[in-house]
Amino acid sequence: MDLVLARIDDRFIHGQVSVGWARKLRAERIILCNDAISGDPWQRRIYASAVAPPVEVDVLDRARTAAVLADGAPGGDRTILLVGGPADMLDLLDGGMRPAEVNVGGMHYAAGKSEMLEFVYVDRSDLNSFRRLLAAGVSLVAQQVPGGRRWPIDEPMIAAAEERL
Amino acid sequence: MPMIRGLIVTHGAFGEEIVRVVEMIMGPVEGLAAQSNRGLAAAELQVGIREWLDEGGDGGQGAGAVLFIDDLAGSCATAAQVASGGDRDVALVSGVNLAMVLDFVTWRDSLPLPELVRRLVEKGREAITASLPERED
Repeated sequence: MDLVLARIDDRFIHGQVSVGWARKLRAERIILCNDAISGDPWQRRIYASAVAPPVEVDVLDRARTAAVLADGAPGGDRTILLVGGPADMLDLLDGGMRPAEVNVGGMHYAAGKSEMLEFVYVDRSDLNSFRRLLAAGVSLVAQQVPGGRRWPIDEPMIAAAEERL
Repeated sequence: MPMIRGLIVTHGAFGEEIVRVVEMIMGPVEGLAAQSNRGLAAAELQVGIREWLDEGGDGGQGAGAVLFIDDLAGSCATAAQVASGGDRDVALVSGVNLAMVLDFVTWRDSLPLPELVRRLVEKGREAITASLPERED
């Protein structure tokens, strides 16, 4: 497996991913990592069919995703990994995954969250996960679409968001 | 015959504008609404659609609902499918356009859901035409 994008996006598979990133990166596989979706046969079926061939979609829980990523030999399918929030990405990191960069593509507003960027809303748990990802040597870059503006997420940005909570 | 309800689930303000234009043409319309994915995570979009579907619950006497979708392979389509939960009284129609919605408003209280949906797809496609200027060689 060749991990071409590790992305945090609480919409999972949608146009920015299935058209924008998948075409730009010539992805052959998308791994959607989410325990709730993976555990619901109806949602699993819908998400698995949300991308047109030849791109394959695997809907996996966190444990299975970690195992697949750990077993992945270099080369093979060009793969996009999608998780719904930074805590899930952190879990996969603890499981051994080591992406050089994590793309923060969409974390939408919910009660108790404050705006970091127009498309990134965070609470304390999200910020703690960001800090741990940075501490592990992962670059965090907020970017919705290929060719779009890239915002590096660093400690000053995290601290500023924390003050607004 | 009970009235079939419609929800236009789209990116941005596309659905809201379709509703607005339909009402400009036909006057105020009941049972037709728009749900944007603007600023919503997948789960929240699903909740919004589900709540709208539940508003129409009337002890099984309802005629059903149509979820119109703009893009067949986007967040709106996925959320609509998840929210409908495979409900037999909910139909999903993609590629929404103005002709399709005008036809929906015209026929929804006189056709059963399956026939209405077949008609909407047909009329939506019929509304797509092209004309090219003739070349003058």
